[in-house]
Amino acid sequence: MIEVLNLTKNYGDRTAIDNLNFKIEKGDVVGLLGPNGAGKSTTMKIITGFMSPTSGVARIGGFDVFESPLEVKKKIGYLPETPPLYLDMTVEDYLRYVAELKLVPSAEIKKNIEKSLLKTQLLSVRKRVIRNLSKGFKQRVGIAQALVSNPEVLVLDEPTVGLDPKQVAEIRELIKELKGSHTIILSTHILSEVQATCNKVIIIHQGKIVAQDSIDQIEKMNQGFVTLNLKTRAAKNIKLILEKIEGVKSVSASDDLTYVIEMSDRADLTDDIAAEVLKSGAGLVELVRSKNQLEDVFLRLTYGQGVNQQENHQVTNEVLV
Amino acid sequence: MKMIWIIFKKEFLGFYKSPLFYLIAFLSTILLSITFSMGLQNFAMTISNSMYQMGVSSQQMNIHYSVFLQHLSFLNLMFMFFVPALAMRLIAEEKKTRTFDLLLTSPVESFQIVIGKFLALFSVVFSITLVACIYFVISRRMFEFNWGPTLVAAFGILLVGAVYCAVSLFASSLTENTMISFSLGIVFNISLWILGGLSEVFEGPISKPIFEQISLNQHLQGMIEGVLKTNGLIFFCSLIFLFCFLTERLVESARWRA
Repeated sequence: MIEVLNLTKNYGDRTAIDNLNFKIEKGDVVGLLGPNGAGKSTTMKIITGFMSPTSGVARIGGFDVFESPLEVKKKIGYLPETPPLYLDMTVEDYLRYVAELKLVPSAEIKKNIEKSLLKTQLLSVRKRVIRNLSKGFKQRVGIAQALVSNPEVLVLDEPTVGLDPKQVAEIRELIKELKGSHTIILSTHILSEVQATCNKVIIIHQGKIVAQDSIDQIEKMNQGFVTLNLKTRAAKNIKLILEKIEGVKSVSASDDLTYVIEMSDRADLTDDIAAEVLKSGAGLVELVRSKNQLEDVFLRLTYGQGVNQQENHQVTNEVLV
Repeated sequence: MKMIWIIFKKEFLGFYKSPLFYLIAFLSTILLSITFSMGLQNFAMTISNSMYQMGVSSQQMNIHYSVFLQHLSFLNLMFMFFVPALAMRLIAEEKKTRTFDLLLTSPVESFQIVIGKFLALFSVVFSITLVACIYFVISRRMFEFNWGPTLVAAFGILLVGAVYCAVSLFASSLTENTMISFSLGIVFNISLWILGGLSEVFEGPISKPIFEQISLNQHLQGMIEGVLKTNGLIFFCSLIFLFCFLTERLVESARWRA
């Protein structure tokens, strides 16, 4: 459905994206993942025909984005970083205008507007002027705008920015609902979003693709290591004791009570570790296997391999904020 | 054609919903009313009193020149400032609020965007010109005059208004700052007149006719006297085309300049 070949874009001397190649099948939901400034938005802008690449080809449904832009644009619903809203229009008038612009047959316009209002839960504000809506509502109008032409391909640039947690969950639900009938690319720097909604991930770093695969495969890229988070009852330095257990690669103490243990995924050491902790008299409060496998891979790929676990988690917090 | 209509409709309705349009319409009707009635009163005084007629040229004894043309040239002056104010929302503001992204990712060609927006802006100029013509209709109820020259002159001002539309739209496409777009529009509109005025400065056998031919004033002069000339029409239409074309190029360039 979407095919990108050797795509490169330079802004003057700066290379925003460098020789990207990927292919997305019909019905896939793909997460474009990367730190800020990695080239996610640039890639999306090129796919939607908003800007031209310096070199390379992007094809949608077999049509070259720059040879036959009109064909391609009819198939695409695009939510840019800043939702393109006419603040002086009402939600309904705005959606009608977008539907007309996207050449939706006039018989279907009314139906499509109802559908996208319903899906984005905007029915209560349909007659309101967009200027007076809150940021979360504006973001949802932006999503409704991308949906209103019922496009084959949806390109969503950070769709959940500015929404409250409930709305974020609703939008993720919506994306899951659309899975199958639409091909969706969404960019984000929030990892849990990708885990919740996508079946494929493309990780971009400094304009280059560093990994692209299904989520399961990417999680396995963690080079045979899993991490455990340990919390003890009493403050007792057991770092050395833990490091002696066979199969444990490294232990780092976040403070006196909490540790992050990295170990080989070949042996299940949970029992051994628990036994050692109890024996040391520190007392066991919590011992869980880290679920953030994707996060670890992401950090490894984008922030380098040499970073130790502790630093990783600090960086993670920044990324997630 | 359908796309042009969609964009025209949106911008047209947008104008008639914006407070700026009503402010401008309000200001122009007030100003036109004041100047028209003052002009008419002066004319009536000149005509009725032989004392005032001493030393007055015969042109000023004609209602067409002394009242109607003054009315229209005042309208022209207002267009020079009001049209850029209306044009600034068309492209500059769209760029600023990022709604331009929506247009550029919709199946619509750049020329359709520009023509749709130009026509919407022109419709506003047209409606204000129509309002300005009401004064003639009302005068007609009071006294007889020849319609022909007045209408041709009004048509001339409408054409100049259309040139302002194209030029202001061009100014609007140059920047995403509405204030800069507004000021540039005024500067461009005024320079159109200055450029023509250079024909007075240059005396050369080649340069003088050239400046005469690109002078708005020169071409409008014929129409003001009630004479419709083809070269005048072609001149105005090519100016409109030129600036619409330049605007289209700038809109298109957004795709590869970004």
